[in-house]
Amino acid sequence: MMNQSDQPLEDIRVIRKLMEESSRFLSLSGLSGILAGIAGLAGAYAAHLVIKGNTPYTDWYLRPLGGGEAAAGTVLELFAAMAVVLVVAFMGAVILSSRKAKKSGLHAWTPVTKRMLVSLLIPLAAGGLFILFTVKTVPASVTAASSLIFYGVAMMNAGKFTFGEIHWLGVLEVVTGLACLLLPQYTIIIWAIGFGVIHIFYGLFMHLRYRG
Amino acid sequence: MKQILANFNKAFESRVRLGIMSVLAVNPAMDFTGLRDTLAVTDGNLASHLRALEEAGYIRMEKNFINRKPNTSYSITEAGLESFSSHLKALEELINRK
Repeated sequence: MMNQSDQPLEDIRVIRKLMEESSRFLSLSGLSGILAGIAGLAGAYAAHLVIKGNTPYTDWYLRPLGGGEAAAGTVLELFAAMAVVLVVAFMGAVILSSRKAKKSGLHAWTPVTKRMLVSLLIPLAAGGLFILFTVKTVPASVTAASSLIFYGVAMMNAGKFTFGEIHWLGVLEVVTGLACLLLPQYTIIIWAIGFGVIHIFYGLFMHLRYRG
Repeated sequence: MKQILANFNKAFESRVRLGIMSVLAVNPAMDFTGLRDTLAVTDGNLASHLRALEEAGYIRMEKNFINRKPNTSYSITEAGLESFSSHLKALEELINRK
């Protein structure tokens, strides 16, 4: 039986908890950020190998990925590598987050999870189509930059429905994408920082801060 | 003290009702199953509290069909948001008194 005089305090605690739980996806796992970062680094290395293997130009980043001879193969190989990175990162997030939800006794699949995914996927799909439609006409560095920028916008959008830190991860990704436009000769390194290093640091930070 | 108790809304005395109001205050709308899972209550219990809040004019119900399945979603009314926030203020004042 609850002490009558503690009731208002307990009421406030319950209200706060429910407001937070019902409006934010709190099961997002920090470990999945680290996993996404490792996948991102591997992807950047794969992209480096594909580009070095297929193009004779040292200023490849100023030329469209989809232009010139032997280009169709380059684009296909790069897209395949990126698809693998995306699937590994996404599946990792799904598996690790449902594990975290189970551990903390929360439902992973809630209305707010759905809303977070929609707000994530719309900018991401727009970015995917943008890249697909421009890969033959814009410089490779612009293609890489747009992947970072659209991804960052997607994170900023999804951040409204999960930890606020995700918003800042998005901001960081957008900044990285803009840096890629200014320093095109470092395209691969900047891309590796954006999708690899930043994710790993972010994941570590979230893991230590929110346990899981 | 009288003033505080005047704002202390009887309709929100139950934890479940307080929970429903909390969830709907920060979400544009939520369906029955979403509320049930968030609050971890039984169907019957939730339904009766939802009905009471709806009759008080604090929440509104909307029946829709999603893939031909009936879907009932609830959202907070202006009156509901107003009385919920004054109830919160009353709670805070009660705590600060101690």
